[in-house]
Amino acid sequence: MPIYAPTLPPAPDLHLGQPPALVIMRFDLTRLWRQKIGRFFGFAFLMMLLWKVARIYVDHLLQTNQAFKPMQEFAKTILTQGADFQADLLNPASYLLWFLVALIGGGLVARDTLYRVRPLMYAHPVAPKDYLLAKLGFASALPFAILLPFALLPWAMSLLLAGLHGPVWATAPLRLLPAMAVSSVLMGSVAVGASSMAATPRAGIGWVLGLVLGLGTLASMIHTLTGFRAVDGLNPVMLAEAWPQLLVGVDHPLVAWVPAILGTVLHIGLWTFVAARRTRPSEVVI
Amino acid sequence: MIAFENLEVRYAAASAPALKGLTLSLERGIVGLLGPNGAGKSTLLKALLGLLTPSRGSGTVLGVALGAPEAARLRARIGYMPEYDALIEDASAYEQVAFWGELSGLAPEAARDRAHEVLYFVGLDEARYRPVSGYSTGMRQRVKLAQALVHSPELIFLDEPTNGLDPDGRRRMLDLVLRVHAELGTGVILASHLLGDVERVADQLVILDQGHIKAAGSMAGLRKILARRVELRFLDPLDATQEAALTELGAVLEARNGLYDLELTEADPAGAFRWAQARGATLVQVTPRHDRLDEVLLRALHPATSPVEA
Repeated sequence: MPIYAPTLPPAPDLHLGQPPALVIMRFDLTRLWRQKIGRFFGFAFLMMLLWKVARIYVDHLLQTNQAFKPMQEFAKTILTQGADFQADLLNPASYLLWFLVALIGGGLVARDTLYRVRPLMYAHPVAPKDYLLAKLGFASALPFAILLPFALLPWAMSLLLAGLHGPVWATAPLRLLPAMAVSSVLMGSVAVGASSMAATPRAGIGWVLGLVLGLGTLASMIHTLTGFRAVDGLNPVMLAEAWPQLLVGVDHPLVAWVPAILGTVLHIGLWTFVAARRTRPSEVVI
Repeated sequence: MIAFENLEVRYAAASAPALKGLTLSLERGIVGLLGPNGAGKSTLLKALLGLLTPSRGSGTVLGVALGAPEAARLRARIGYMPEYDALIEDASAYEQVAFWGELSGLAPEAARDRAHEVLYFVGLDEARYRPVSGYSTGMRQRVKLAQALVHSPELIFLDEPTNGLDPDGRRRMLDLVLRVHAELGTGVILASHLLGDVERVADQLVILDQGHIKAAGSMAGLRKILARRVELRFLDPLDATQEAALTELGAVLEARNGLYDLELTEADPAGAFRWAQARGATLVQVTPRHDRLDEVLLRALHPATSPVEA
């Protein structure tokens, strides 16, 4: 027979807690941390970041050291220092980032479905919009957090080494941060929408990859058959890559402004709607 | 604690109602909610939690109207222990109970402290740091009870709390339910299909079937009804006239080999002896038959008689 406490003291004040969406996001982060999934991706993205920073440092050496003068002409071919270079800062292996979002985002809602946690969540003072906000927020914050050093570190290093004349524009973050935000929300909404249609985390990963690769293939086929470029606005991967290009003003972005806006609004709206429908309280089984 | 009138709940506007015109008032205590699968127990709990909006009728839970805007905050005053697992398998009991505490409105540090207290209360000591995926059924049930209690609710809904437990586990869980009410003053709604569980802990009983309330009332009242159930044994078999006159004593439920099961109109069985003397029969034995609550349930679900009102 276990020894019980004589009684249970009353709980402290229930009005000092954090917003439910924040509580759920923090808990999801703890679960992600436990999965140790970040080790491989952390290493891969760190290597890419170091490569970009190294290129800026090498450029600085070439500019300032006469001994490297003969190499300058060659360097110009790889360091364009124009709008393309700025946009390319946010392109850390686009497919790798999508894969990470699929691996983590694919399980965000599906895991709760598998363990039947969502009904219990709604039995607490958690509104469906809190739940959706938490999942979308987490799935969007993840790619944003990964992209953040890619935007800021090369910019800071460029300013430090070469001032306003460095390879990264002094105003680059003002263009790159909004582009990152749009691309991240796009990635997050696709991941959460796909995850909400799955019954297990593995199926969720499959749904995300299937949607991303399937829509990309479909858009490419239509583009090839009809020559209609605007259809690339259906391709989430191209959209995520296009937004930095559009905002820094490259000459030939992957997707033009109008199809990019329409495609992004369509994807975010559609997948958020799907997720909202699939996580309604009336869908829960108690 | 809970009251509703003419409550009707549908899952979709065009579908048949899952709850049909329920009217009931429940006092604070331990309420047993009995009924077979599909009776509407879970739907009723969903409606009381504010997850389903009534299509007709009205009701209040802890003084808050069903469907009112503040119903979401009401859930901070209610604890819910679901029938199925609903546990986050990769998290420890301590982590998830603290998480549920935070979702109920506790500050992070307070939720962590509270998780320790409530897990100790339900009898999970050092095991609370292990992932719940390695827990036994009894431990999992106790984690679910702990998460329902973590925010000191005024009312808890327990859905089949003894599911899958061995007899000792059942006894411990029911002890905990009794302690929750006795020590913490928390109202309890216990949904179960196990009559023994309800009979052991509940002081009020509601029997649901196919969306209708078949019987409702205090356990004491139901027992009083059961106390009127008697078996009469006569020295000699009754003749046809005497048998027909038995209805003067009450409803004849069964007659076999000189033994008659009756539900007496009057609570005092001594009247049966007076009746026998007047009718020239020799009544030798009156045996009370108030030991079987399941008879109330069976009668409510398969009515040869009208619904029980206690």
